[in-house]
Amino acid sequence: MTFSQTWLPFIYLYGVGGIAFLLGTLLIYKTKALRINYESHKKWFWVLFYGYFFYASVHALFIYLAIGSSY
Amino acid sequence: MENILGTNLDRVVILAYFAIVMGFGAYFGKYSKTTSDYFFGGRRFAWWLITISIVATGIGSHSFVKYSTKAYQYGFSSTMTYMNDWFFMPLFLFGWLPIIYYLRLGSIPEYFEKRFSREARYIATFMILMYMIGYIAIQFLTLATALYKIYGIPLMLTVVLIAIATTVYMHFGGQTSVIFTDLIQGFILIFAGILIFSLGLNYLAENTSYSSGLKALWDNLSPQEKLPLANFNDPPDFNFVGIFWQDGVAGSIGFLFLNQGLIMRFMAARSVNEGRKAAAFNVLFILPVSAIVVSNAGWIGKAISNSIPGALPLDLAPNDVFVSVANLIAAPGIFGFVIAALCAALMSTSDTLVNASSSVIINDVYRPLTNNKSSDKEQLRLARLASVLVKVIAVCLVPFFNSFESIYEAHGWFHSTFTPPLVVGVFLGIFWKRFTSSAVIATFIVGAFLMILGQMYPSLISPFSHGIELRPDRGYSYIGALYNLFVCAGVGVLVTFFTKPNPESKLVGLTVFDVHKLKNIFKGSKPNEDKGQAVNVSWDLKEFDEDIISFSKQEMKLMKAKEGDLVYLQDSRWWLGGLKSIHSIFGKPHNQNGVVYINKSHLESGMFEHGLFLKGEKEM
Repeated sequence: MTFSQTWLPFIYLYGVGGIAFLLGTLLIYKTKALRINYESHKKWFWVLFYGYFFYASVHALFIYLAIGSSY
Repeated sequence: MENILGTNLDRVVILAYFAIVMGFGAYFGKYSKTTSDYFFGGRRFAWWLITISIVATGIGSHSFVKYSTKAYQYGFSSTMTYMNDWFFMPLFLFGWLPIIYYLRLGSIPEYFEKRFSREARYIATFMILMYMIGYIAIQFLTLATALYKIYGIPLMLTVVLIAIATTVYMHFGGQTSVIFTDLIQGFILIFAGILIFSLGLNYLAENTSYSSGLKALWDNLSPQEKLPLANFNDPPDFNFVGIFWQDGVAGSIGFLFLNQGLIMRFMAARSVNEGRKAAAFNVLFILPVSAIVVSNAGWIGKAISNSIPGALPLDLAPNDVFVSVANLIAAPGIFGFVIAALCAALMSTSDTLVNASSSVIINDVYRPLTNNKSSDKEQLRLARLASVLVKVIAVCLVPFFNSFESIYEAHGWFHSTFTPPLVVGVFLGIFWKRFTSSAVIATFIVGAFLMILGQMYPSLISPFSHGIELRPDRGYSYIGALYNLFVCAGVGVLVTFFTKPNPESKLVGLTVFDVHKLKNIFKGSKPNEDKGQAVNVSWDLKEFDEDIISFSKQEMKLMKAKEGDLVYLQDSRWWLGGLKSIHSIFGKPHNQNGVVYINKSHLESGMFEHGLFLKGEKEM
């Protein structure tokens, strides 16, 4: 399998998508829409990052397993 | 009509299912007394109820057919579109959701009028209605295509019968009926999807040398079919980068920020935080499960084709995979149940969209044109008529969508054509104060013109193609969304710099920069953020002229509430999910502990029962 079948889509997804995610998080933080000093908002802050890494981990795991699999 | 599928038992199961759902939905009609109830369910439901009902909205009947097809052709990468929605969650949860909730927006176009101008609202109304009604037509077409193979009734007659069936419960119940029928249908959809998966794995284990169905599935898919993301830019009809821009960007923003049906579901939540929980749980847990639910018939079908030659027809068309695999692995009656789940998907998605469309017609066409002079009762009657009208138009559009090569293509055409101007309009509106009214109208009109040019002259899209092959006579498919987003945003930005922005005083509460002020705007005074406890109390009636309820001083202290704060009062049975509840204001406290005084209007709205406790919570 080639790089464009395996890791390139992953890098593009979490690179370009990651820029949108980080810019969005930064914007809500800077505008005080998200206030880290509020206990409930602090939990949401971690949930947001958990979601990003959760999806990245699932995709990475399946790519890794597919590369090592036989048919 | 060739190859009628299923048995008489299957047909009975499908009809019985329709009858049960219609009765269930019609029952909840008694909870819709005003247009607010009809469209937003009275803004009172718990997050878990909203979440499950969103499942049924997110999985359309087209989803089973569309994703099974791609799963059969390309394997696990069929799940891509269900697993790329997280990137815009920060902006949705803490930007858009508080804005629409606290400003009590009745519809997305209403935001366009508040933020820009009435003209912008009318254009947005037209585009959103076109999008939703077309989407309903696709749902009708998909289900009719499946039922046509089972009952042998002509396609268009099947479409009409489906439209009538879904009208029965929607017509009377509105959003409350939609939420509760979608709740039950959400469970059925997930159960049916998992059932197909289990039966498929069992079939593989029984008919191959493998002792485990999962191992049989894994070993009978090629390494390429096990990849979770498609090849970067090839083939032209299913590649990663095109689908990322069409679905991951335009589709995700369209779904989260512009899907009137979804927005109304969040507006039915009892608070912004409950809406956030529903949205996050949906994207983190429900969407991955949904991806398996809608795709697995294709994976099973592929593994069966690879390991058991002859079990499925050699010339099996990918579009027929879902029905063929279900028919092969499920016993009579079970197959009927699976098709009933397909019906559940259709009904739950279309009822949401029909309710949303009638909301837009009343909020954005009727009310502005009549200066909102008619009574709420009259508007409720018109809302019901509007929902019928929407279905009639959708039925008329079915032949048009039937002319597309596949349902996948028809659906993709929608996203790439209708969402980019709206996505750019709402996105720049929320996140860029400088963005002007003239610019948003130019985005809609000039942007649409440039998009049409792109469809006519695909070479304009080539600089954005990321190396995707240009198909002769068919042009680019998904990657066109990137071009569309670019030209719409380009027009919007350019026109903004040459026009005068709205004064800051007119933008209060309408952009992400003011989200921290929204609670204040919503309450009308400074919000009380002290964290108190919830209290369980009995209730009694008292004559209040105003919308206030009265707790004892001690309970006010426990809730850390003050006179004038907002309160949420619900039946203490958690499993009702807020069905019997009200929002009100704390009035002057009394000295009788354990009792809350409400008025007749609260009782009618909350439908509280004598002898049962109520749970009170301070909101802000």
